[in-house]
Amino acid sequence: MGNNRASINMHPVLERSSKLERGSSVKRWITSQWMQQAFFVGPAILFYSIVIAIPFFFGIYYSMTSWDGVSGNAVWVGLNNFSTIFLKDPEFGQSFWFTTRFTLTAVILNNVIGFALAYLLSLPLKSRSAIRTIFFLPNVLGGLVLGFIWQFILVQGFPGIGKLTHLSFFTLPWLGTEATAYWALIIVSVWQGAGYLMVIYIAGLANVPKDLIEASVIDGAGKWQILKNIIIPLIMPTVTVCLFISISWTFKMFDLNYSLTSGGPYGSTESVAMNIYNEAFGNNRYGLGTAKALIFFVAVTFITLIQVKLTKSREVEM
Amino acid sequence: MKRSFIISCVLVLMCCLLAACGANSNSGANTGNDAAGTGGSNAQKEVTIKLYQQKVEIAEQLKVLKAEYEKTHPGVKIEIESVLSSQYGTKLKAKLAANEMPDIFNNGGYSDMDVWADHLEDLTDQPWVSDAVDSAKAPMMKDGKLYGFPLSLEGSGLVYNKDMFAKAGITELPKTLSELEEASKKLKAQGYTPFVNDYASVWDLGITIFDSFMAKVPDTDKFIADLNSGAATFAGNDVFKGLPKYLDIAMKNGNPNPLTTDYNTSMTMFATGQGAMIPAGNWIQPLVDKINPNIQAGLMPMPVSDDADFNKNAVFTSPTVWVVNKNSPVKEQAKEFLNWLVTSDIGKQYVAKEFKLVPAFKSIKADPADVGSIGADLTKFSEEGNSLPMQASKMPEGLYTEIAQSMQKYVAGKSTPDQMLAEFQASWNKLKK
Amino acid sequence: MFGRSYPFKWFGIELLAFLLALVFLSPFYFVIVNSFKSFAELLTDTSGLPGVLHVENYVNAWKALNYPVAFKNTLIITIFSNLGLIIISSMAAYRLVRNKTRMNRFLFSMFMLAMVIPFQSIMIPMVKMFGWVNLMNTFTGVVIAYMGMGVSFTLFLYSSFILAIPKEIEESAVVDGCTPYGTFFRIIVPLLKPMTVTVLVLNSLWIWNDFLLPMLVLQKPGLQTIQTATSSLFGQYMTQWDLALAVLVMGMVPVMLLFFMAQRHVIQGIADGAVKG
Repeated sequence: MGNNRASINMHPVLERSSKLERGSSVKRWITSQWMQQAFFVGPAILFYSIVIAIPFFFGIYYSMTSWDGVSGNAVWVGLNNFSTIFLKDPEFGQSFWFTTRFTLTAVILNNVIGFALAYLLSLPLKSRSAIRTIFFLPNVLGGLVLGFIWQFILVQGFPGIGKLTHLSFFTLPWLGTEATAYWALIIVSVWQGAGYLMVIYIAGLANVPKDLIEASVIDGAGKWQILKNIIIPLIMPTVTVCLFISISWTFKMFDLNYSLTSGGPYGSTESVAMNIYNEAFGNNRYGLGTAKALIFFVAVTFITLIQVKLTKSREVEM
Repeated sequence: MKRSFIISCVLVLMCCLLAACGANSNSGANTGNDAAGTGGSNAQKEVTIKLYQQKVEIAEQLKVLKAEYEKTHPGVKIEIESVLSSQYGTKLKAKLAANEMPDIFNNGGYSDMDVWADHLEDLTDQPWVSDAVDSAKAPMMKDGKLYGFPLSLEGSGLVYNKDMFAKAGITELPKTLSELEEASKKLKAQGYTPFVNDYASVWDLGITIFDSFMAKVPDTDKFIADLNSGAATFAGNDVFKGLPKYLDIAMKNGNPNPLTTDYNTSMTMFATGQGAMIPAGNWIQPLVDKINPNIQAGLMPMPVSDDADFNKNAVFTSPTVWVVNKNSPVKEQAKEFLNWLVTSDIGKQYVAKEFKLVPAFKSIKADPADVGSIGADLTKFSEEGNSLPMQASKMPEGLYTEIAQSMQKYVAGKSTPDQMLAEFQASWNKLKK
Repeated sequence: MFGRSYPFKWFGIELLAFLLALVFLSPFYFVIVNSFKSFAELLTDTSGLPGVLHVENYVNAWKALNYPVAFKNTLIITIFSNLGLIIISSMAAYRLVRNKTRMNRFLFSMFMLAMVIPFQSIMIPMVKMFGWVNLMNTFTGVVIAYMGMGVSFTLFLYSSFILAIPKEIEESAVVDGCTPYGTFFRIIVPLLKPMTVTVLVLNSLWIWNDFLLPMLVLQKPGLQTIQTATSSLFGQYMTQWDLALAVLVMGMVPVMLLFFMAQRHVIQGIADGAVKG
């Protein structure tokens, strides 16, 4: 930083302008590090503070009250909400466990399938750009609409196909049992997420130097070996990004959950975000809900930090 | 490049300002009503009454009504927002947080009344109070004062297909659980599916079915107080012994995959004759009519035990209630509007005919042709004195969801009757205030 | 028929990819095909093609959605949120990446942390603040909210892209007499174009499809977006799948068009940027 300023001061333009004294002081003020910081980062911080940071700190305050979301005064209860959550609310633990299981499966499948698609579509196929588009297409749907559409497919469409084909896969009570509802959510999440990650993986694969692969082919390496020993280590930065994106999104799943299963059957597919929403707005316990949100935030931060650390350590410099 | 960039920056800022002005233009409600506080008779300045309500079924009719009212009441504008019940509460809280509270809004009564107590205007002195049906006022009474305006009555129980019952030779409506099973056999013999079970809907399980049992408990208020103090349990209550029995009968004689059948699917099934009975109420009439206008549906009490006398009065009613915002500057005009609705000829006409709801006022008689066959049955039960008030809104908020989940678990075969009742108990203990 | 660079065995791979693509497309098939059916036909024959095209589903959906108004509102919100996000995020990303002081590292992780905050936990305080400053029921309010909520992800995308831009380009600009501002607007901004297209499309997909925020902030009739109109209609007409599906299709067509127009850039843009961090 110090070097940077020196180089600017040495600059011919600035030297010339220093002859006009007033101009130069204004200019120096404008180009000062402080001004630059304010100009470039200021607006982002401003919006971030208004929309995220300040409400978040409000949330911390509410998490220590028994506010119901309506009444005029919020009663301070200290850390009571947190002890209630840990000691008396097994449903929160269950929804946490469900979300963790769901995230694990969905993130692995999304990434494996996304990568496989990307690998497939990095081959010089004739129709690859059209097919890439098709795989990405589910992303034009928002979570809410996505849930409605799949509800229609699972409730109306699948039994219809089942009648025609007599395949038991289509006649399962898709949203009716614990296991099938879980997998229904996974299917929909993969249907949408895999195409998104595919695009990022395609980008990562494009950066793998061709000559490296050609060289190893000459060395007699098999396809699998090339994939394992050359391609995957080289695209670890991409893996870091994809895992980060998919973990943080899957963990926060709300819209899809809300519109597809609403947490059913018997609350077995209730995600943490939905549990929080129901606590705050359904049970009128806003304070408790924000306390849950805070715990959730800490947990997700912790998990993503570990993930980024783990995958970062496996990245190699190209 | 850079010039166009700067220009676009400026444009963004300008347009943001413009958008702000444009969207702000219709906020007349909280301005210019100095006169309102002093009694409301002075209508020189224009005032806007904001009505925020959750009966989307009457959204269209309300628009026409609004025009009628504005014609006869110069200076008063009504702004109506009709929102689905699933979004209603969250949006109302957002309005409150943003200090944009409506002047008239919905309230569920009892515990919901307590939550919103700071915002409710005392309506005890209103001219329509003596005319309103007592059972409709009950949920909004506190310390002898009335805080709500009952727009209509709703009743629930088992809705059944009259044609199917006739074809199956069921002349007497089943009054006990055994008779219900008997009737199911007759329906099955005709090739009908006796029950439509929409157990994906937490509403129907946790409110319609659960409440049919809750309301039958003798001295419900004491039972609720005892549940709160720990003196009573669900497992120790005789009435709730019937709940797993009812669920068993309904499951044995119901549609496949009840846990994937949601409210809307079940409506379609019932309306298209894929089932003869469904736990529901008169609110399903418009939906069912839309799918099959020729259906003849009726309402009967849901049997909860094998004692016929005990099951006689078992249609449960709850009112749809509008409340007036105590802190509203136009509350006098809002009260005047409510009064007009049930005392003027035009208003009465709408309540009785256009809304297709069962009115909660003695002087407004609904024609069966207007309220539909389910509503007509409801009126009959209620006039004969065979109705009980609904209990759902006396229970802890959010309880019905957890209750429904426990019931889902039971019908999925994941718990025993005892476990289900124990889970009810655990949910109650967790959520009680 | 095929050139030498297209070995015959790849035909099999191509076929496989094609079949997979069909599976991915099938949900769209269900929705679109059934949106043209009458209600009865839709229930009895869900998978077949419609016997008669019931275009009136769309006419009804158009009216029920109040489509022109909802479309205009959604468009205004999407455009201005996008512009705002692109400006503030690219500037911040540039500074944070090129000036790695301890402060800026801290700020960067603050922004990244926001990506894991569930919106449900901040929405009521946010709405409360909007109420204080009269931003409720204004597009400005919604745009500000989107800028705050989207700045993290957009900054994330830009920062990895900027990291991949060789520093020499900027250094030579400084030698030529550019101020840091000039360097950014004249040199960096044009280079960011591919990423900007990507950001534009990804943020548009998100904003166009977002539901909870406009539901909370835009509560007056006449201010509804396509999503809020869709969801409230969907609730009312859920038993009428014919109408509901037409409503859904009309909600997704505009984003689909945008995506088709920009898809080459999107994939390219992500390819150039998202992963070089």
